Amino acid sequence: MSVPDYMQCAEDHQTVLVVVQPVGMVPEDHFFRIYKRIISVNQVSIRDSQRLLYIRYRHHYPPENNDWGDFQTHRKVVGLIAVTTCSSAKEWPQTFDRFHGQREVFGATLYDSRLLVFGLQGEIAEQSRTDVAFYPSFDRCEDVEKRVEDFVESIFIVLESKRLDRATDKSGDKIPLLCVPFEKKDFVGLDTDSRHYKKRCQGRMRKHVGDLCLQAGMLQDALVHYHMAVELLRSVNDFLWLGAALEGLCSASVIYHYPGGTAGKSSGRKPSISQAADAGKRHRPGAQEVLIDPGALTTNGISADTSSEIGRTKNCLSPEDIIEKYKEAISYYGKYKNAGVIELEACVKAVRVLAIQKRAMEASEFLQNAVYINLGQLSEEEKIQRYSILSELYELIGFHRKSAFFKRVAAMQCVAPTISEPGWRACYKLLLETLPGYSLSLDPKDFCKGTHRGWAAVQMRLLHELVYASRRMGNPGLSVRHLSFLLQTMLDFLSDQEKKEVTQSLENYTSKCPGGMEIITLPDGLKLPPVPFTKLPIVKSVKLLNLPVSLRPHKVKGLLGQNVTTKSPFIYSPIIMHSRGEERCKKIDFQWVQGDVCEVQLMVYNPMPFELRVENMGLLTSGVEFESLPAALSLPAESGLYPVTLVGVPRTAGSITVNGYHTSVFGVTSDCLLDNLPGLKTSGCAVEVVPALPRLQLSTSLPRSAHSLMPPSGEELSNSVSVQLFNGETQQLFITLENIGTELLETLEVTYKMVNTKEKIFGEFLSWDLQGPLSQLPLKPSQTVTIAVDIRVKLDFSGQENLLQDLNDDGISITGLPISSPLRQVLKPRAENKPISAEANKTEYNHIKTLEAILHFKYSGGLGQMQGYYRELLLGVHVDVEPSVFFTRVSALPATSTRQCHLLLDVFNSTEHELTVSARNNQDVVLHASECQRMAIQVDKLDVDSLPEPDEETLRFASPRQLEEERQQVQGYQVNSKLGITWSIISFHLQNRTSVSFFVTL
Amino acid sequence: IELKFHYTVHTSLDVVEEKVSAVGKVIVDQRELYLGLLYPTEDYKVYGYVTNSKVKFVIVVDSSNTSLRDNEIRSMFRKLHNSFTDVMCNPFYNPGDPIQSKVFDSMVSSMMVQTC
Repeated sequence: MSVPDYMQCAEDHQTVLVVVQPVGMVPEDHFFRIYKRIISVNQVSIRDSQRLLYIRYRHHYPPENNDWGDFQTHRKVVGLIAVTTCSSAKEWPQTFDRFHGQREVFGATLYDSRLLVFGLQGEIAEQSRTDVAFYPSFDRCEDVEKRVEDFVESIFIVLESKRLDRATDKSGDKIPLLCVPFEKKDFVGLDTDSRHYKKRCQGRMRKHVGDLCLQAGMLQDALVHYHMAVELLRSVNDFLWLGAALEGLCSASVIYHYPGGTAGKSSGRKPSISQAADAGKRHRPGAQEVLIDPGALTTNGISADTSSEIGRTKNCLSPEDIIEKYKEAISYYGKYKNAGVIELEACVKAVRVLAIQKRAMEASEFLQNAVYINLGQLSEEEKIQRYSILSELYELIGFHRKSAFFKRVAAMQCVAPTISEPGWRACYKLLLETLPGYSLSLDPKDFCKGTHRGWAAVQMRLLHELVYASRRMGNPGLSVRHLSFLLQTMLDFLSDQEKKEVTQSLENYTSKCPGGMEIITLPDGLKLPPVPFTKLPIVKSVKLLNLPVSLRPHKVKGLLGQNVTTKSPFIYSPIIMHSRGEERCKKIDFQWVQGDVCEVQLMVYNPMPFELRVENMGLLTSGVEFESLPAALSLPAESGLYPVTLVGVPRTAGSITVNGYHTSVFGVTSDCLLDNLPGLKTSGCAVEVVPALPRLQLSTSLPRSAHSLMPPSGEELSNSVSVQLFNGETQQLFITLENIGTELLETLEVTYKMVNTKEKIFGEFLSWDLQGPLSQLPLKPSQTVTIAVDIRVKLDFSGQENLLQDLNDDGISITGLPISSPLRQVLKPRAENKPISAEANKTEYNHIKTLEAILHFKYSGGLGQMQGYYRELLLGVHVDVEPSVFFTRVSALPATSTRQCHLLLDVFNSTEHELTVSARNNQDVVLHASECQRMAIQVDKLDVDSLPEPDEETLRFASPRQLEEERQQVQGYQVNSKLGITWSIISFHLQNRTSVSFFVTL
Repeated sequence: IELKFHYTVHTSLDVVEEKVSAVGKVIVDQRELYLGLLYPTEDYKVYGYVTNSKVKFVIVVDSSNTSLRDNEIRSMFRKLHNSFTDVMCNPFYNPGDPIQSKVFDSMVSSMMVQTC
C-alpha cells in the first residue's frame, strides 16, 4: 500500500467502499455525469433495521490498497459499479466479458457488482437481470439512483451476514489469521497452535468484527469489539493491529461525538435523521440496533441493559481520550516502515478531529509528525499532493502561515528541476493561494494605509516567485503587474541593489508588454487590480496654481450680488455655516479660465537610488473637459522635494476637480488618485473655471523698467516701464495692446493710480485719449490697438530750502510751501548762520524725485464677459524726475500800463545742460548749466478774487483746508496759463526730444 | 539561508498566535510572557516570547545545541525585552522604524556569541 488517501477522515471507517469504473469506451463527461448521480447516494437507510449504511465511492482505486482490506475493512472494495456503452446486441457479450474482467481485479473482496449499460436496446435489454441495468442513453436513466440503492442494500445483506458470521465464531474454532500484505511471509512456519498465536488471531478477528459492525451501522457493538480487540492485542504485543484497533476505537468515538463529521464541508454528509428529533438522547443508528436486536450483544458478554446511555458513554472514548488513543495508535504504526501510509492517514484523521475540537496546538504536533513520515520514493505529483494537503490541514487548524508555507512548497514542487514538464500554471495557481497566508493581497490599496502588514522579506520572495512563474507561464502582462506590485508595496524594504534589479527586469518585461491600468482577470476569476506607482515618484503636495496676474479673471462688482450667500438671513453672523466651511476647504478662491493654460504644482521626490525618468505625466481631472498637456521629467537619484508643474487647458467652463495624475514609469502607466496617496498635503483640488476671456499682450514704446514697482495690494504688474524726465517735461508713451487670445476683445477701460504719492503733484500725471482705440473695438484675435499716454511731471522742488537759500544772495527766498499766490510774496530773512558745505550742496542739488503710477487696463469679451468677468493688465510707470529750472526769486515791478506789471524772475538752471526759457511774448533766455539769470516778463495783473468759486456741492463736503488748497491750485493754473513759461533743453532739442510746458507755483 | 529563517520565524507566528489566544482566555492581566518552545524543526528549535503589548520575540536555536535549557532561553528573552524597552524609550525612535541602536545591536550580538 503506497498511495495515501489524504482526504480520509475518521468517519470513513464506517463507510463501505464502492468503486465506480467505466468499462470499454465511455466518454469521460458522460461517465462523470453518471458518477455524480451515483455518489449522491452516499447513505442508505436499510429497510427493517433503521440502520444507515454509508458508502464511499471511488472511480479509481489501486488494487494494492485493496489488499489492506482485512486490516481496515473500509479499505476493502466491496462493490463495483461498472458503466459501459453498448450500441448493438452483437457487442454485448464482449462488453459483458470486460465487466467480468474488471470484477476480477477486485475479485476476492467484492460483495456484489453492477453493470450499467447505456445505449443498448432490444431483446437483451428487455431481460431483467439484477446485476445489469440497461438504459437507452445517458440522458434517459431516471432510476440510476434507485438501482444504486438496491445495490447498496444487497451489499448490506452480505455485510450483515459476514458480520454475524464472524461475530458468532466461537473462539474454540480455528480462527484464521488476518494479516496485512507485508506480514504474510513473517508468519510462515509459525507455530499455529501456540496460545500466543491463537490470541493474536482472536484479537485480529475481534478488530475485524469491530470494523464490520461499524460499517454495518452498529456503533455500539463496534466499540465493544474494539475494546476487546485492544485488550487481546495488547497482551500479545501485536502492535500494528493494536494500532488499528485503537484507531477503530477512536473512529467509532469520533463518529459518536461529532455526528456532523470531521471532514468539513467536503464530505456532503447528511446528519442523521433521528438526531434533530432527539438531541438529548442522541440516537445513533447503532444504538437503535442494539435496542432492537439485543441478541447481537450476547457474544460480547455484555448484557442488553448496557445499551443504556451509561453503557455507551463508558465504551465510548472521551474527546481527550480519542486524541490519546490516536497518539498511541500512531506510535504503534510508526514501528512499521511499511505502514507509513496508515500512519499518515491516521495523523490526518486525528488532525481533523483536533480541528473540530479546536485544539490547534496538538493538531500541529500531529501534523509535524506527519511531515516526517517517510513514504519512500514519492512521485513528484504525490509530493505536491502531500504538501497541498498539509497546507490544507494547517489552514484547518488556523495556522495560516504554516499553511501558506506548505502551499508554497507544493508550488515549488510543481516546477522542481527534476520534473521534465514544469507545471508553471499549477505553480502559479498554488502561489496565488498562499497570498492570504502571508497577509498579502494583490490590491495595492490595502498597502497604502498605515503600517506595513505581514513579513516583508517573505512577501517579497513570494512576489518574486509570482513574477517568475507568470513569466514562465508566458503571460508577461501578469509579470508586469506583479512586479509593479512588488515595487509599489515593498519599496521601503528593497535594498538599493534590489531596487535596481527589480526596475531593470520591469523595464525588460514592459518592453514586451507595457503595463497599464486595466484589471487583469485570471482564468479562475481572480481579478488583479491595477497597481498605480504612487511612490515613483512620491508626491508630497499638490497645489493648484492661480493664473498669472494679468490673466486672472475678476468679477464685475455690480454682479457680485449673486455671490453673496443667501443661506443666512443675517447680514453678518459670527456663525459660519457648516456647509460653507466645508465648501471653502475644498474649493479654492481663485478661478481658472477656459482655454487658458492652467497649472498645478506637485512637490515630488524620487526614492530610488538612481535617476527616475517619468514620462507622460499629466493631470487627471473630472468635471470639466480638460486637455492635459503631459510632461516628462527626470528626477535625480534620491532627490529632495522637487517641484513639478503639470499643465493643462480646460476646454469648457464649470467646476473642475483635480483627482490625480497619471505617469508612465519604467513602461508602466499608472493613474494615481490623490485620495489614495498617503501623507499628501493639498490645498483643495476643486476650482471654478470661468468661460473664455480674451487675452491681451501689452507692449510699450518705452524701455522696460529695471525697477519693479511694489503695487499696494499684493497685485503683480504684468509690465512696467521707466523713464527719466526733467521736472515739467511731458513725454508720450505708446502702449500697444495685442489680442493674443481667441476671443473678441469687446470692452476696454483704462484707469491709473498713483503709488507712493508723497509728492505733491500738479495736474494729471498720466492722461490719454481712449476715443480712438475704443472705436477699434471689438478687437479680433491677433489685432492690436495703440493708446497714447502722456506722462506729465510737475513737481514742486521748492521744498529744498537749503539749495534755494544758498543761491539766494539777495536774502529773499521764495518757498513754495505752502503754495503762495504770486502777489503775496513771502519775504524771509536769509538764514545766514547756516554753514553748509559745498559738497552738501552738491548732493542736495542732484536730488531726484520719483513718481510711480500703475495703469490699469480692464478688458473683457466673449463668454466671460456675459458672466461678468474681466481681466486686468497692470502697467507700472516709473518716472525719475530731475529738477530742471528753479525760480530763486520772484518780484514784481509795476509796468507802464497799470493793468500790467513786470514780473522779475531769477531763473536757475539746475540741470547739466544748456537750456532756454521762454515766456509768452518774451524772448528766450539761454541758461547754461547751473547758471542763474534774471528774466522779466510783462504780464497782466490778476485779480485773485475774480477766480471762480467752487460750487455749493463741493463747499459743503470739503474741509476748509481742502478748500484753501483747491483755491490755490486754481489760482496757480490761472497764473500759469497767463505766464506760459516754457523751457527746453537745447541739446535734447537737437536730439528730437522736446520738453515743454513748465509750471509755476508761486 | 536567511530566507529560510524568515520562513521559520514567519510560520512560528502561527503558534504564537495560537498560544497567545489560548492564554488570553485564561488570565488576561498576569500571564507568562515566555511562550516556551514554539516548535522544533529538523535543524532548529524556535522559542517565542510575547510582551504585554503584543510585541513578539522569536529566538531560533540550533537543535544540536543542548546546553541551552528552558531557563537560559527565558533569561535571554528577558534580556532582549529589557534592551528592547530601552530602545523604545528613546525619544528619537519612531515605533515601526528599523532599530538602529548600537546598544541593542551589541547586546544581541553578545547574546549570540555567548550561545555559540
